[in-house]
Amino acid sequence: MANLNVNICGVQFKNPVIAASGTFGFGREFNEIYDISCIGGVSTKGTTMEPRLGNPVPRIAEGPSVILNAVGLQNPGVEHFIADDLEFLKSKGVVVIANVAGSTLEDYRNICRRLNGLVDMIELNISCPNVHAGGMALGIKPQNIKEVTRITRAELTKTPLIVKLSPNVESIVVNARVAEEGGADRISLLNTFTGMAIDLERRRPVIANNTGGVSGAGIKPIALRMVYEAAHAVKIPVIGMGGITCGRDALEFMCAGARAVQVGTANFTDPLAIPRIIGEMNEWLDAHNISDVNQIIDTLALN
Amino acid sequence: MKELTCTVKYNACIARGIYAMTVALPEEVAVRCGQFLNISTGNPANLLKRPFGIMRVNGKNVTFCYQVKGEGTRLLSEAKGGERLKVTLPLGNGFVIPEGAKRIAVVGGGVGIFPLLSVIEQIADREYYSYIGFRSAEYACLTAEFGAASKSLTVVTDDGSLGGKSNAVSAFLAEYGRVKPDLIIACGPPVMLKALKTQLNERGITTPCLVSLEERMGCGIGACLVCVCKKSDGTNARVCKDGPVFDIDEVEL
Repeated sequence: MANLNVNICGVQFKNPVIAASGTFGFGREFNEIYDISCIGGVSTKGTTMEPRLGNPVPRIAEGPSVILNAVGLQNPGVEHFIADDLEFLKSKGVVVIANVAGSTLEDYRNICRRLNGLVDMIELNISCPNVHAGGMALGIKPQNIKEVTRITRAELTKTPLIVKLSPNVESIVVNARVAEEGGADRISLLNTFTGMAIDLERRRPVIANNTGGVSGAGIKPIALRMVYEAAHAVKIPVIGMGGITCGRDALEFMCAGARAVQVGTANFTDPLAIPRIIGEMNEWLDAHNISDVNQIIDTLALN
Repeated sequence: MKELTCTVKYNACIARGIYAMTVALPEEVAVRCGQFLNISTGNPANLLKRPFGIMRVNGKNVTFCYQVKGEGTRLLSEAKGGERLKVTLPLGNGFVIPEGAKRIAVVGGGVGIFPLLSVIEQIADREYYSYIGFRSAEYACLTAEFGAASKSLTVVTDDGSLGGKSNAVSAFLAEYGRVKPDLIIACGPPVMLKALKTQLNERGITTPCLVSLEERMGCGIGACLVCVCKKSDGTNARVCKDGPVFDIDEVEL
């Protein structure tokens, strides 16, 4: 049994597998299927200051090895999260990462101020492709990323800041660097790729929002490339994600430079995906006589 | 709520584009009428499971029906006996039938009839007045099963090729005064449920009415907030977790 503990800037994870935002709610539903205390961390559903109703339905479509979603940040608001969900997640002994979003810089400042010291980490969602203000609009242009990172970093005197990057950008390297320059303690990537699914019979997009974020196993090669590029552009730790469905996938991301990984869409295909992935990582490490998962991080040698 | 590997026991076409599938679970699972399951298509490239209302449970065997609509359900229709699929169940709230409801009107359209059959077969000590509608005779199925479990059954089709030329809502309303149900349970396409709600309101009918809704789903367990419906109070409800069964006055249709 290999050591799966990872320490990311002082935050101790019992293993490097984190449930990705938007696929895991606040953990309660999956906890009805298995005890989620086996997970390294949970990144919450994207949370805003005020409750949001999100986009019209249908909000989901499917393609070969991918899904598209456009939920549009439906969430019960930060006060509801603090009152109803935070204690539950803490009681499970998982690293609690609050994924936060807003429409304006002021929204991001306020929600970070409210959550400072209450959660283990904040993940700045500046990369949601499915809302029309804030979200990805703040996460594409380097100067905006730097500004929102700087403003929120100043609020977070007690809580480390992760900036979650969008892949729908000109240069992931530039955006990773500006997040670091703005003061991010870590970056996570990637959020979903903007895509479209068409119902040919009706000559209409399947999703009411017309476009949706593409995720799932099919995006893994692109995600690996971008995580590798970002991890080698910055000194701060990188959390990698995009199409991870098994233990080997998770270890590939760590080999490419990620210090931890997030698992999202795989939770839909297999509700037991995360505990299975943790078990498979262990098996692979044991089979290769590697006693500590940290030994795999950033070991990729290019051809 | 369990994640299990099941084995296909039976999978056959019962009407045009409509299939019945029975799967064997590795263990018995308690299921309430009106709950649903989420099942893999057998193709790993389909990342989403497909949600279907559970029609019957017999020991470890679970039967549901489905309509071939796209690539995923087409693949499911080709599943052979012995094939192993992943299934999450039981999901959703199901129908909670009050003790006092003795005379129950059952209004079903198309593939909406399947979860309704689970009610009338499981809770047998009531009088069921069933009204089921299909597009035409070739889409009609399970009429014998509905007939056997109902005190009276009215079958109608849009084109009159089987039973009267009508729809389930109109057929029910035509007999409402005679049947005087304590409860109405309904499932069918959105346009049918909307018509039912409008008609009940226009006629001042206050009989409690439970409807089972359908929506495109992600996780199926309430975590991803993909399959929401609008509630009358302006908030959203999750069809998969807070539903699929709602009081008709509770939701916007």
